[in-house]
This record gives sequence, structure tokens and C-alpha cells, in this order.
Amino acid sequence: MTLASAPAQAGIDARRLGQIEMGDTLAARNSRLAVGDNIVVRIRRSEGSATYQDFQVPYQKWMRVLDVLNWIAENKAADLAYRWFCGSKMCGTCAVRMNGREVLACWEAAEPKMTIEPLRNLPVIRDLIVDRTAYENKVAQLEPWLERREPYPPFPEPLNHKQMKDASKALDCISCMCCYSACPVIGLGNLTDFAGPAPLVQLGQTALDPRNDPDKVKRSLQLTGIFNCVSCYKCEEVCPAGIPIVSRIIEPLKAKAAQLVPGMAKHSFALRDIVAARGRVDPGALVLRVQGLRALANMSRLIRLLVRGKINPLKTLFKIKTAATEAAGRILRAGVGK
Amino acid sequence: MKFAYYPGCSARSTCAELNEATHLVAAKLGLELIQLESATCTGARELRAIDPVGFYTLNVRILALAESHGLPLMTICNTCTLNVLDAHAAFVSDREFAVSINARLAEEGLHYSGRTRISHFLWVLHENIGEQRLRELVVNPLTDLTVAAFYGCHITRPPLQYGFIDSRNNIALEKLAEVLGCQPIDYSGRNECCGFHTAAHDERVAIKLTGQHILSAKAGGAQAMVTPCPLCHTVLDGFQREIEKDVGQKLDMPILHLPQLVGLALGLSPDELNIDRHMVPAGALKAYAAGAAKGSRR
Repeated sequence: MTLASAPAQAGIDARRLGQIEMGDTLAARNSRLAVGDNIVVRIRRSEGSATYQDFQVPYQKWMRVLDVLNWIAENKAADLAYRWFCGSKMCGTCAVRMNGREVLACWEAAEPKMTIEPLRNLPVIRDLIVDRTAYENKVAQLEPWLERREPYPPFPEPLNHKQMKDASKALDCISCMCCYSACPVIGLGNLTDFAGPAPLVQLGQTALDPRNDPDKVKRSLQLTGIFNCVSCYKCEEVCPAGIPIVSRIIEPLKAKAAQLVPGMAKHSFALRDIVAARGRVDPGALVLRVQGLRALANMSRLIRLLVRGKINPLKTLFKIKTAATEAAGRILRAGVGK
Repeated sequence: MKFAYYPGCSARSTCAELNEATHLVAAKLGLELIQLESATCTGARELRAIDPVGFYTLNVRILALAESHGLPLMTICNTCTLNVLDAHAAFVSDREFAVSINARLAEEGLHYSGRTRISHFLWVLHENIGEQRLRELVVNPLTDLTVAAFYGCHITRPPLQYGFIDSRNNIALEKLAEVLGCQPIDYSGRNECCGFHTAAHDERVAIKLTGQHILSAKAGGAQAMVTPCPLCHTVLDGFQREIEKDVGQKLDMPILHLPQLVGLALGLSPDELNIDRHMVPAGALKAYAAGAAKGSRR
């Protein structure tokens, strides 16, 4: 990566460094293509083993990725397979990866050079079309609907915005699979039982609804492997519907899981107890409590950690009080049982 | 320039060298750090799920401690940074909640008004020291050192909150590496996740994810990786032996904490910066630094 070394300026914002260099501004986006320019497009085709095919597409005003695909299908490759239906960010069928980023073809402006590929983490049927069966099966398995055992008041049932604040965010989902493609844990295949962001959002629509039967929510949550989420926020970054997937769906679902199925959140309770007792995390104590004797199985690793001073068994065995201990104990113990 | 300084748990245990390096580098930079000794853990990612009130209270308390000194807060851990940012946002957006937290803090005479500025060390370097001053302070430019910048997640995401841009477009670390004389390389892992937050109960995710990133840094020609987060460091460095087993090849990729890279350029020696405290031997880097001292590179 080559970076222009601009002189230091007052009022610099480190969180935005790169926005101008990477053309991440409205002005840059509006000026990068002019009518008549040639767009260089490389599309992943699936004849035989995966191959790429190159196209030159004349830019027309307001051209989106979808318009580029339509132009290619009409003029150069009638056999190009891609999905779209509404063309207006509603149906969620046209998601692809453009230059390594998950986008809706109908909503993303064309760029001068584009590599267009199918979404990751789902089998490719042909060209840009992926097989959504795995996702749909998972969602069905999670039973994303309301179940109510107790009698409830007739319509209009009292329900306020605050009670529905997270579930209502989940209802914005258009099932486009961008998040599923961007999720690094899903990218590891069957290594864990993590359901993935898209199925969790579908579950969140009803599991975060206060009217749902807790036993039913519990059953669903047990099938999610939700504590395998690494909290990387990659799903939020690509969501075309702007759903705060980690903060407003996965975190509240984790909270529900901790409440309804405490065994799933064993490590969270271990961390809380350690912080309450010591003020800070002692990594040795945490791993020992979460993994038990399994933590001692890799002796050579333990010895290496000891030699480099990475762990301190004395600290782990004898809870050395720190200046933070008193405050943590008071604040966290008061919360227990609430 | 003075900051209330919150090192977090990692930098006071598994990554003690990070805390030491930060103090050494701060002295070189003319930063005065008031370490918040009575600050607790911010709750990592675990506490927010099981005890949100406890989570927010611990974090607002850290902000209140900074406020009691009348100073902005400097952090050196990504996850801690996001935790205090989240707590600050929750505090200022819900008055009732803010009053209840302050009632808890009043038990020890603390109060938060919602005005503490939160800054990670990487941001302090750019915003408070500035590129120009840093260039003047570099006595040992790390010429020809190819580094892979590994951002981690929690100081560039969640997207479009807390002033963040699309994380894939942030180049603050690469810019800094350039100022120090290094050559930042481009590779696929720069904005990816190290998997730390599931490692306490299952290390396999962290090992698999990070293996890809180190391989990609290696393929890009990196002699070292640098990270602003001790949690990423713990996985990249601490698990590297396990990662090597998983990818079936020797990696030997030295991982530097951000203040260590800065320290090397500001004339601190690898020994002073405790590079040997890492799990991956940094022999290549030491040889590089020794060569630099003799001036053989210029």
C-alpha cells in the first residue's frame, strides 16, 4: 500500500485517516467515472473450475453494479447467471462481492475497476448465484416464530417501543446474506456450531420479542452456538439494511442465553467472578476455570508461558488484592441476583 | 501533555511489556501519564451479556476516575477502548440511567459528567503528537523494515459509530509506520479478527483465523507485524506455535506492540522494550536494530 505522506495538520482525526486517500467521500464517488468511460469488469464464472472473465462496459450515468451485470448479460454474455428481483434494496437477492466487499448489486454504484464474485460461505450454483439452502434450513431449525402458552390481552395488546427496540431492528433484515458471507467464524465451516449472523437476526425478530415463550426461546438459543461469535462487527459493516447486528441482536441474544441457559455462558460468569474477586482479570485463573484440567494438558505451552513471564502462578493461586479489588467487588456483587 | 492512563488487564499481566513500553515511549514523546491504579477491568466482551448494569458501571467509573483528575483518558487496548466508548454513549443517551450510575459512584465520592475524552494511544500519536513532531523525534528511522499493520476490530468498528469510517479504509497504522520509516505492506489480514474473544473457551477459532492472517502477512513480505491491541498480540504471538502446527509450516513472525515499534524508532533498544518477553523470538528484529545502531543501513 502506498500512502501519501501529508504534513501534520491541526484537527486531525485518527479514526478517519484514509477516508480521503481511499476515495471514501461523496465527492470522490461522484467524480470517479464519467459517461462514456470504460468500466473494467472481471466476473467469476463457474464453467468447469472457477474462472474469471473480463468485460469492458461503457459507463452510463448513475450506473449501479446491477446495471453493469444487466449490460453484460444483454450484450456480451447471455449465459451469465445472477439473481435480482426488485432492484430497490427490498428483496435481498442480488448480493455479490465487489472488490472483496459484500454489496447489494442494486444499491452499489459502479466503480472503474470491479471484480465481481459470488458470496462466500455458501455453495455456488452457477456464476454469481449461491445456494441458500443451508441458511434456510438453519433458520427453520431455530423456529423463528412466537409461541404463547399463557392467555394474553386482546388487541390492541400493550407493547411499547422500548420493549421492542432490539427486535424491531432485526425486522429490517432482507436476508441478503451479506453478513453470512462476511462472517469469519462461518468462514471456518463446521469448526464450531455457530449459526451465523443472518440466522441469528432472523431468530432475534421473535426471540427478542418480550411476548415469546421463554421455554421456546431457550430451545432455539441452545441451537445457535452464539458464544462462538468473535464480536468482530464484520457483519455490521456489510449490512445494507444498517442493522447493528452485534450490538443490538447478538449481544441481547447472548444476554438471553446467559439468563435462560446459563451453561452456555460459563466463561462469562467465570470472568465476572474473577473480576469481582480481584478487580482485574487474571488470565491464568480465567483459563483454569473455563477449561479446567484441559488447560494443564499442554505442558510445553505452560512452560513456555512461564519462562516468558506471561503467566504468574503465584498471582493465580494467591488472590493478590489490587487497588481495583474493592470497587469491582462492590459493583459486581451488588449486581448478582438482579 | 497529560493523560489519565488506563492500561487494562492484559498489559498488566500477559503483556506486561506493553505497559512498560508505553511508559518509556510516553516519556520520549513528552506525554505525562497518570496511571489509574484503582481502575477495574472493563469487562472484556463477557460482562456486558450477563450483567449490563455492572458492565456500564465499571466503565463509567473509569471515565469518572479520569474526570477526577481533569484529564482525557488514554487506552492501549482495543476492546477496553470500545467498552468505555459504549459506556460513555449509553451514559449520555439515557439521563435516568446516568443518574443511577452516578448514585452508585457517589458511594466512593466519584461523579461522571459525560465529558471525558477517550483516546487510544494510536489516536494520541496522530492527534496530539502529530506526524511532524513524530518525524522530528525519530532518531532511528526503521528504514526498509517491512511491517504488516494488524488493526484488530474494536478501534475501527462498529462501523459509522463513534466517528469510525469504513474500517477497511482506515490507514492510521500504516501512516504511522511510514512516519517511523517502515514500509507498510498490503495484505488480506489488516482489518480482520484475531478471534481472541472466543479463545478462553475454544482456542481453535483464534488459531484458524489468525493463521490465515500471518500467512498473508508473510506472503506480502512482512518482517514483523504490529498491533495496537494486547488481545490481538496474545493470539498472534502467544498462540503462534499452535498456529504453526495448524498451518503445517514454520512462521517465525515477530509481533510488536504499537509502542514497541514507536520506541525502536525513537531510539529505545529492543532490550529496553522487552521484545524478548514475547513468545516468538525476535532475533531478526534485534539483528535489524543492531544493524541500525551501527548505521549499516543508511
